[in-house]
Amino acid sequence: MLDIKNYSISKKLTWMNMLVSGVALLLACAGFCAYDLYSFRASLISSVSIQAQIIGDNTVSALLFNDPNSAEKTLSALDANRHVIYAQIYTRDGQPFAGYWRERAGETLSLPVIPSGQTQIHWFKNGHLGLARSIVFQGKPTGAVYILSDLGAMNDRLKSYAVITLLVFLASLVVALLISRISQRVISEPVTQLAQTVRIVSNEKNYSIRAGISPNRDEVSTLIESVNEMLEQIQQRDGALRRAQQELEQRVRERTIQLAVANKELDLRNREVERGTKLKSKFLASMSHELRTPLNAIVGFSDLLAEGTPGQLNDKQRRFVNHIKQGSAHLLQLINDILDLSKIEAGQLELRSEEFLVTDALPEVLSTIHPLALAKNIQVKQKVESKSLVKADRVRFKQILYNLLSNAVKFTPKAGRIAIECVDHRDFVRVSVTDSGIGIRLEDQKVIFDEFRQVEGTTDGTHEGTGLGLAITKRLVEQQGGQISVESELGKGSRFSFTLPAADSTSKVQPPAEPAKAPVLATSGRLTPLVLIVDDENSSRELLAGYLEPEYRVAMAESGFEALKKAHQLRPDAITLDVLMPGSSGFETLAALRKDPETTNIPIIILSIVDQKQVGFALGAADYLIKPVRRPALLEAIRKHVPSPADDDSSILLVDDDPKALELLEEALRSAGYETQGVRSGTRALEVLSNKVVGALLLDLLMPGMDGFEVIRHVRQDALLKDLPILVMTGKNLSNEEMTLLGHETQALLQKDGSWQEQLIVELRRVIGGRNLAKSAGQT
Amino acid sequence: MSYVRGTRFLSCIPQDRRTWRGLGRHAWLVAVAITVAWGLLAVPVLPAQNPKPTEFQVKAAYLYNFGRFIEWPANLMPAKTGSFTICVLGEDPFGPALDATLAGEMIGNQKVVARRISGPPDSGDCRILFISSTEASRLNKIIESLDKTGVLTVSDIPLFSQRGGMIQFVLEGNRIRFEVNLTATHRAGLTLSSELLKVATTIRRDRD
Repeated sequence: MLDIKNYSISKKLTWMNMLVSGVALLLACAGFCAYDLYSFRASLISSVSIQAQIIGDNTVSALLFNDPNSAEKTLSALDANRHVIYAQIYTRDGQPFAGYWRERAGETLSLPVIPSGQTQIHWFKNGHLGLARSIVFQGKPTGAVYILSDLGAMNDRLKSYAVITLLVFLASLVVALLISRISQRVISEPVTQLAQTVRIVSNEKNYSIRAGISPNRDEVSTLIESVNEMLEQIQQRDGALRRAQQELEQRVRERTIQLAVANKELDLRNREVERGTKLKSKFLASMSHELRTPLNAIVGFSDLLAEGTPGQLNDKQRRFVNHIKQGSAHLLQLINDILDLSKIEAGQLELRSEEFLVTDALPEVLSTIHPLALAKNIQVKQKVESKSLVKADRVRFKQILYNLLSNAVKFTPKAGRIAIECVDHRDFVRVSVTDSGIGIRLEDQKVIFDEFRQVEGTTDGTHEGTGLGLAITKRLVEQQGGQISVESELGKGSRFSFTLPAADSTSKVQPPAEPAKAPVLATSGRLTPLVLIVDDENSSRELLAGYLEPEYRVAMAESGFEALKKAHQLRPDAITLDVLMPGSSGFETLAALRKDPETTNIPIIILSIVDQKQVGFALGAADYLIKPVRRPALLEAIRKHVPSPADDDSSILLVDDDPKALELLEEALRSAGYETQGVRSGTRALEVLSNKVVGALLLDLLMPGMDGFEVIRHVRQDALLKDLPILVMTGKNLSNEEMTLLGHETQALLQKDGSWQEQLIVELRRVIGGRNLAKSAGQT
Repeated sequence: MSYVRGTRFLSCIPQDRRTWRGLGRHAWLVAVAITVAWGLLAVPVLPAQNPKPTEFQVKAAYLYNFGRFIEWPANLMPAKTGSFTICVLGEDPFGPALDATLAGEMIGNQKVVARRISGPPDSGDCRILFISSTEASRLNKIIESLDKTGVLTVSDIPLFSQRGGMIQFVLEGNRIRFEVNLTATHRAGLTLSSELLKVATTIRRDRD
């Protein structure tokens, strides 16, 4: 009810004072009342006692002379005291002698015993005071008087006393209230004022207000002074803060103006730079095209001459042609490198972000390197332990690896060794190329990645190069977020290592390369059969893959379990199965594959050291070869079971506006066993395609009139031609968008730089299969 | 034990129980207190019920009591015998009652004694003289002879107070009362207490 806790201090103080004075008053009043009651009782007793004595004295003669009337007359004097309700005189022997009743005659009470030695006794009972007193006359007991008085007097007294007490109590409280109201101000007023001041300060955030100083010297005044001091400090800090803020604002304004000026300048310069860049990139584009096109002709035709395609040359001619060939190849490489470098320098190198497995990209590089290594009888080993996807531009990754490997081949003496290692290193994939070459001196190691620097002593002609390879490699690695380093010991060999960021570990489990490739496979899948190689030995798998590629696409599994999974996933056209494998053996895998209705029709060729043909055939193997297997035997076995989808009538349509290039291509392809038809414009190509079924389209991009992109669009819109394999071959620097478009719409992309011929053949075989080659090879 | 006895005791005394009836639940305490007091004081405080006193027993007591309410002149006080003498003139109607009543009583510091005399000359040390009815015929002479001697004359002879006697016993119903001749007592130099006069049936004042 009384929520005293939340009262204001002033109220609390008032209440406290009231409580204290109330309690004190109450106690005092109670004490006075009690004392008064006690003393009043005593006086009442003594008054009744006196009356009894007077009556006794006045009734002695009546008693002695046996005159009750006289005694009654005496008793009637008690009428004057309205509180006496009954009185009785007793004779000496205790017999009632004369009585008095205030109201009407009632019962006569017998005399209570008065102990000897006492003349009177009294008692309070039932709101009455009873008093008995013996009457003594001249030392002789003569009788006794008994008076019964009601306590009306006392009650009256009490009542009036209570009323007075109450009045005094209330009056005192009122006075106490007034006094405490006034006196509490001494404490509460400064506090209230302080609270109000603080509230105003905090509401208005006005720290210049001060609390009024109390004239008293007590804790409250100390508090007020402290608060004032605090406010003073806050005000000072506030001021300082505001000044600092103003300064800051001023500074910001100045800076903004400076910045705006600088921005304007920058904008101007940017525009200049932009214009410069545009010019530069235009120049680069035209340079790459204009320089490469004639060089391609030189390189290509000198190749053909050297191979003796147009007719046998004599030794001298052949030697000269080889000089031309080597010189122009070097020149082409140099041009390519310079163009790359300038693109990097100009910041125009557009890198795509792809995710792929090193194991997928590696064979493509090795296929180019192997012939070079083979020529010097250099053994190339690979050890791929990385299971992570690399996040990089796949083409550039191959370029990096090719640069390092070709360097290694270049600087490794005959019958040396080159090792490729690939490991996961935290969030990176680390690839290193180790050779047993001549090594690099320590001081040279520092400059080896600089432009146009070749290690001294290596420019003796035997190790010719542009001196740009490593510089480009370094830029390419670094631009993709990796690092490149070299360790080397002179005379013993070198190790070049580079790292590239790995893709998120979430996608680490299985390469999404296959799903990514899936649309491409869907259009060309029927053209290139897929073989699943199941073998627990890596080397064995690689060997088999080398046998089968590029006529077949290859997938690998290193255990029976993985084989079942991949067979389900990829639906290969054939499976080669090793028998002796840890875990589930080849036979178990074979049985499991046969049992599954989805894989039961896939032909399975067992390749094993053990000769258990009967078991194998009983379990449903399509063929059984004993290791070591030779390539022709393997290919023949697979061809037996996998029908080649290649069209016998297929020929390759070549489209290029440059007649020299066209001729070169025709020569190269024919020598590789393909039938070709060349046209010099996109329009013409579409005419041919509408009249004739071809196996593939080899397309140049930069052509007058209808360019390559338009041709691709037309082809892909045609329902009959939408599955036609398209290979693009260009000297153009492609933008990322163009790359993406080509990646979607075409099956291969070749840059007209240097060794495109071999790659062209490889890609053609991949795209349209080796059937034509086999046939052509058979014919020649 | 004491409770049981007390209770039994109380049950024998019904009037006590009546008196203290109102005490309610404190009856026990009071009862015990009374029992103790009773045990100590029962005999002197509650006297035995005497048989109704005879006429002359009462009159004897009155004689003694008159002595207690009356002051004699100071010159009379030193009596020869040193005692307060109540005399009976004529034939003694009291028998042994007077001596029995006065036995051991004192007035002031004087022992009260009774004496029988035959004539007024013997009344030398008498303070109160009871004149027996046998002396009625000689009353005038007797009163005359005792004039101004300071002797209180008391008698039950009819018209005694009117004939110059000081206090005359009269019978009112069955109660014995008395008349006072204040003139006579004044002449004798006696001072009667107003208390005494209060209970007198008649107070006579002769014109003289």
